[in-house]
Amino acid sequence: MTSQRARRAAVTGIGVVAPNGLSTETFWKSTQEGVSVLDRVTREGCEHLPLRIAGEVRGFDPSELVEERFLVQTDRFTHFAMAAADQALADARLGRADTDRDPFAVGVVTAAGSGGGEFGQRELQRLWGQGPRFVGPYQSIAWFYAASTGQVSIRGGFKGPCGVVASDEAGGLDALAHAARAVRRGTGVVVAGAAEAPLAPYSMVCQLGYDDLSTGDDPTHAYRPFTAAACGFVPAEGGAMIVVEDEGAAREREATVRAFIAGHGATFTGASLWERSREGLAQAIRVALDEARCAPEEVDVVFADAFGTPEADRAEALAIADALGAHGRRVPVTAPKTGIGRAYCGAPVLDVAAAVLAMEHGLVPPTPNVYDPCHDLDLVTGRARPAPLRTALVVSRGLMGSNAALVLRHGAHAL
Amino acid sequence: MDNELTARELAALMKKAAGVTVVADELELRLDAGFDEFGLDSLGLLGIVGELENNHAMVLPPDAERCRTPREFLDLVNSNVVAGA
Repeated sequence: MTSQRARRAAVTGIGVVAPNGLSTETFWKSTQEGVSVLDRVTREGCEHLPLRIAGEVRGFDPSELVEERFLVQTDRFTHFAMAAADQALADARLGRADTDRDPFAVGVVTAAGSGGGEFGQRELQRLWGQGPRFVGPYQSIAWFYAASTGQVSIRGGFKGPCGVVASDEAGGLDALAHAARAVRRGTGVVVAGAAEAPLAPYSMVCQLGYDDLSTGDDPTHAYRPFTAAACGFVPAEGGAMIVVEDEGAAREREATVRAFIAGHGATFTGASLWERSREGLAQAIRVALDEARCAPEEVDVVFADAFGTPEADRAEALAIADALGAHGRRVPVTAPKTGIGRAYCGAPVLDVAAAVLAMEHGLVPPTPNVYDPCHDLDLVTGRARPAPLRTALVVSRGLMGSNAALVLRHGAHAL
Repeated sequence: MDNELTARELAALMKKAAGVTVVADELELRLDAGFDEFGLDSLGLLGIVGELENNHAMVLPPDAERCRTPREFLDLVNSNVVAGA
């Protein structure tokens, strides 16, 4: 092959561990029906904290999904990532025999916002309670941001380019962009995404300092972005892993190309300076559209960041209008995360999973718990809206000032 | 663990500290196989060292976690028990 045509980064597999579903199928069913699973925090040791509502992943039994040898070395956030990676690889029909043929052609990239807080807390309690000799050796790797990338690659025998993105919540999109770039440069497959587990005592206490955290105790009212009642965000755990693969290789092995990662942009506008995020987010969208060679009018659906405070929501609505022009007021906008909470770096990856599924089903999922938006956006509320979807825009912002946008094209999209 | 560390006890420690399941009889037959063949890495062996020191009141020499085979480790631990007794 001497073709000069650029390699395209295809999405061939999706794996999800989310508050509203432990598989991609369940996640999509709950998402398209607009089910809200926000609820009281029930994790041990968290009941007395002023953070009462969250999106917990319930019924997840890591011992059924991950070998004991990996379980003892890893935190819950890595358990989620390993389980989601397994699902994504199975969905892509990439078995161990396939990846073992050329292990250097398979890489892993994840994003992480809080690392292994639960594991870390246990070991630090041993440190102060019993002494340094009682700290287990796996503390040295389990709570790092890099743990999920490392363990997914070791467990799968993947020896290709690996990376970890620590760029705030928007890092979930940056990780996918990183994977897409690796694929365009020549790597065959990158397993990429993010999963977080911030609902444990130590991790929750760390979040209590966030001014924008919702401290409401009514699950239906705690997280209502784009409304006059917006009172902050609700955190969640879980995330998604995506198999990003060279389109040519995917077609050759007759895998289903579910979507393309077509463009990405990222900017930084400072921690909690939401008004300034307008400019940063608009610029990230423009850069992503430009890379995707996508006109604003081609965007068929926007998966919003939907932070949940009046100032941040206003900045986002204005950013969409700034970047998409008049089309920004017509294009359907949705934020399914209002039904599950914000899983930090995992949140935008779950949005990417939902966006791919939305394009496949021709259905814009609704924004749970939101009925009365007060911004100039066509926010999809109540129930899913049928629409032919060829191009999806996913945007994300982090508490610390990162903004990112990712353009996805339908799997049947021709250059 | 009053006396010497046995292969059977080591197998139990491998399970407890590193999540590695090894049948004790098999470990006894393969004392010269590398720990890596059982799926035990140096951090896992370090966890076993910690377990012995914390819960069995042993003091092992530095670098005990660098032993490459079960036999090497058992010899080191047991020579240490004798020396310390």
